[in-house]
Amino acid sequence: MTANPYAFEARNVTKKFGANMVIEDLSIGFEPGMLHSILGPNGAGKTTLFNLLTRDLPVTSGEILLNGNTVTKLKPHQIARRGVGRSYQISSVYLDLTFQENVWLAAYRAAHGGRIGWWRRVEHYDGLRAQASQLLAKLGLEQYEHTLARSVSYGDQRLLEIAVTLATRPEILLLDEPTAGLSQRETERVKTFIASIKSAYTIVMIEHKMNVVMEISDRIHVMNRGALIAAGTAAEISQNQAVHAAYFGL
Amino acid sequence: MQRKPSTYLMSAVAAVLALIAPFCMPINIATEIVIFSIFALATYLLISVAGLYSFGQAAFFGVGGYIAGYLYINTDVPLFVGLLLAALGSAVAALVVGMMSIKRIGIYFMMLTFAFNQMIFYLAYSWHSVTGGEDGLGGIRRPDITIPGVGKIDLSNHVNFYVLCAVLFVVVFAGLYQMMRSPLGLVLSAAKQNMRRTDSLGFSVYRAQLLAFVVAGAASGVAGALFAMLYRIMPIDAISWHSSGTAVFMVIIGGMSSIFGPVIGAAIFIWLQGFFSLMWARWPLLFGVFIILVVLFLKGGAIELFDRVRRLVTGARGERSAP
Repeated sequence: MTANPYAFEARNVTKKFGANMVIEDLSIGFEPGMLHSILGPNGAGKTTLFNLLTRDLPVTSGEILLNGNTVTKLKPHQIARRGVGRSYQISSVYLDLTFQENVWLAAYRAAHGGRIGWWRRVEHYDGLRAQASQLLAKLGLEQYEHTLARSVSYGDQRLLEIAVTLATRPEILLLDEPTAGLSQRETERVKTFIASIKSAYTIVMIEHKMNVVMEISDRIHVMNRGALIAAGTAAEISQNQAVHAAYFGL
Repeated sequence: MQRKPSTYLMSAVAAVLALIAPFCMPINIATEIVIFSIFALATYLLISVAGLYSFGQAAFFGVGGYIAGYLYINTDVPLFVGLLLAALGSAVAALVVGMMSIKRIGIYFMMLTFAFNQMIFYLAYSWHSVTGGEDGLGGIRRPDITIPGVGKIDLSNHVNFYVLCAVLFVVVFAGLYQMMRSPLGLVLSAAKQNMRRTDSLGFSVYRAQLLAFVVAGAASGVAGALFAMLYRIMPIDAISWHSSGTAVFMVIIGGMSSIFGPVIGAAIFIWLQGFFSLMWARWPLLFGVFIILVVLFLKGGAIELFDRVRRLVTGARGERSAP
């Protein structure tokens, strides 16, 4: 029996919303230590796939496997505790918390597992505060440490979201359009950052900006209408006729 | 990390308020205010910190009141054993109600807590042999406290009873404030803002909210037990949904941006209730107008009023800080 080659895998997964089939018998796997990008036109089912992988949505049928173990019945927080960190398509940082509190919360969970302390005050966890500050500095956000997340630009909120996701110390990172809503300069910053950390994680990224995908991805998966239509390196995908047809109707 | 005042400092302020209160009003009114402050603080933990709009807190207030009342009438249990069992009974009731209610959010959660409140109300109403039914549970004694070196303290003395209630108020205040500044408080606040994100970070939002619900239930039970001793009767009305609404109004009137909000709200509510009832037999009408005015023009409650006055005096401008 051969070992499962994938860190994260959806096997024969189907998702229906009522009569509407969003994903149909999809099998897709992500090898460890690589940066995988998922491409596809709007409505291809990319974000739904993320939601199925993290159990934000239940599958209609099929199986989700994490490091070869089935996690289909787990709850989202249980998936997260098994080393899956996720960022969302629409920024979902805590707007009424400071940057440091946002990151601290994720770092606390990573350090304490599922236990939630109910007596010792938050500001007395010096080690976690230092960790949060370091992570913010790594993303160039140190000047916002004590600023409420709602007071900064959307671009900086997106960067904060990446910092929060990294603070959970994940093995697998799911990034849903990390550069959406960012300026050219901010996009470059995020792209460079993701490229710099990709050797340390298994990254699965949904992204619409082709230059970002083509430059930093190790493997690209293309979806259309809830199915996987192609997978390969950037060079292979750019030559793929099915991909051209899905994007340009050629 | 926003620097927050220490629990010692905040508790000292609460203690000073409790110390001043009996010099400003009749002792029974001051006692009622500190008891309802405990009840409002518990409701504040749920509404303002955890974002759980519970309309069923009177159920736990009532359970605590009936347990303590029954024990003090029918047994010789010491005061603190009765209070402890009242808190424990209310916590267990809150655990059962919370386990089912917290599975739903928003209006569905509200309706579930409301429905459980009504169920527990009718249980108390029907179980005449234990609760006194419609007549209430009367003849509740206030057990004496014996402190080594000090002697016996007679709680039938109103001042002594006020001191007991004030001490418990400060203890509950300090405990809840400390908890709100702990990781649990931050997780609750985060889940209130974005439940899905908090789950995806690996926290069990359900467990965190359930813990808050049980703590709030226990604190409400202590308030209920003190209320039963105050007038030596546990009336059936105290467990009705009106009473749950009262706690929510106290939180709204006082304001949700500070832990002092529910305390101020309880004081205003009880004082106004007395004031309006002296003015007009149909005083609830006046009270309704007052609540409407607060909601329409002072959404942040009394705390916002203080904030506005402070800004007017100091000429300060800009956004208010996050709660």
